[in-house]
Amino acid sequence: MAEVTLYHWEPNANSGKPMLALMEKGVSFQSHYINMLEFDQHKPDYLAINPQGTIPAMTHGDRVLTESTAIMEYVNEEFAGPDLMPADPQDRWRIRWWMKFMDQWLGPSFSMIGWSVFVGPMVRKKPKEELEALIERIPLPERRRAWRKAMFGQFGEEELAESKRRVGFGIDRLEEELGRHEYVGSNFYSLADINIFNSTYSLPLSHPDVASKERTPNIMRWLKTVYLRPAVQETWKMGKTDLAHRYSLIMEDI
Amino acid sequence: MAAEILYHGEPNGPSLSVLAALVESGLDIECRHIDFLRGERHRIEGAAQTLASDMAVEGEGPVLLKDGETMSEAVFLAQYFDDCAGGCGLQPSDAYAHWEMMMWCRQTTERLAPAVAYLGNMAYSQKVVTAMDEDSFSAIIDSIFSEDLRARWQDLRDDVVDAAKLEDSKAKVAQFVERVEDKLADGRDWLMGDFSIADLETYAWLRPMAELEASAFTGKTHCSAWMERLEARPSVQKALARATTDNPAHAFAPGPEINRWG
Repeated sequence: MAEVTLYHWEPNANSGKPMLALMEKGVSFQSHYINMLEFDQHKPDYLAINPQGTIPAMTHGDRVLTESTAIMEYVNEEFAGPDLMPADPQDRWRIRWWMKFMDQWLGPSFSMIGWSVFVGPMVRKKPKEELEALIERIPLPERRRAWRKAMFGQFGEEELAESKRRVGFGIDRLEEELGRHEYVGSNFYSLADINIFNSTYSLPLSHPDVASKERTPNIMRWLKTVYLRPAVQETWKMGKTDLAHRYSLIMEDI
Repeated sequence: MAAEILYHGEPNGPSLSVLAALVESGLDIECRHIDFLRGERHRIEGAAQTLASDMAVEGEGPVLLKDGETMSEAVFLAQYFDDCAGGCGLQPSDAYAHWEMMMWCRQTTERLAPAVAYLGNMAYSQKVVTAMDEDSFSAIIDSIFSEDLRARWQDLRDDVVDAAKLEDSKAKVAQFVERVEDKLADGRDWLMGDFSIADLETYAWLRPMAELEASAFTGKTHCSAWMERLEARPSVQKALARATTDNPAHAFAPGPEINRWG
């Protein structure tokens, strides 16, 4: 079988999605860690794999795949192992709907806040000239704008407030959904759970005002269920920062 | 009561692609025409679980009502039809070809659709929404659950024109036509090789631009021939036959938002 290589950062957000999907399917893969905070994703070695400079990316033989949700769908369809999409067409539609809602509406708000409070301050320690040179190397204009905002703390109050509103609102909708279904979009563990877990497992720590045992019991029940999956445990071991360890403690406490 | 009802607008943009996909699937689902620009999508009878239509990233698009749940997003409805029909040729069965189609559709819904919706609304719908009396407009606004969709309606009402968004939208339409032209340059008939949802979705959003952004299509012979092939396709003809106005390419209502990260 053609070899699979995954280029990824921490088992978190977009990088975490294909990592966990591969692990759930039992597909062995070469792990290629891209340190986002050192901007490995914009270095020539990686741009030769994915000229857009976004992570994650996956190669399967001579195929190159990008975009985390689409990679997960490929992994599910291409490889043997447990099916990560249910059979019922309406369930399948609902799962796709939730992934789009996360990828295109709620996720960008999560990441704007995350970049403003975490990624920005982490990289801001570098000299200004070095940061400018790093921005110059970014292939996509919209990513250049996003990185500039994060590096120099240029997020506007209004856009951050809107992102916070969306996070609170989106979490309430997710809580309702997990009251209707055991998992996101259906009563079966699926790609939607992998997608949304990777962007929400940190909520009890990062947004205790919107996600907690008292306020969102369904989300907490679901987070713990997904966290206890062996594939999640294995995926989290692949992290190189203490991120996974810190969140393990939170999960144990749920 | 019918098990499933498809509520659609004039055959343009997402309503056009979903109506054509339904015909391609051969499924027998009742279709009901509604006027998006009168807010009728937010008052669907028998809708109990409305999150997917309330919070559709697509904005005002077609809604399939099934068992009290409103199903939305044109690409996913087309996939749903294909799944229900047991695979009717709307999606490639090969995993890699499927990945390529989903990537293409995502670019279409994320880059092309917001640009076309912005240009179309400014050109055709803005004057209609501005001319509404206060009570009619308030009734629509009050029925919209999503705060950001409500804001897009209000901007239209207030004639808020963002010159940068207008220019960016025109550029994105031109870039997408270029992209289609490049994809078809090897002489293929359809974007993914075989006919798929990618053709319907892309064509449905580009069709109204042929008039509004005509210069984007100048000299794009592959793209123009591909649009003619789609226009001639029986499923598209049947979808277009559901029009209730002279020119459905002028029918717009607030659509997807322009990417907040730029």
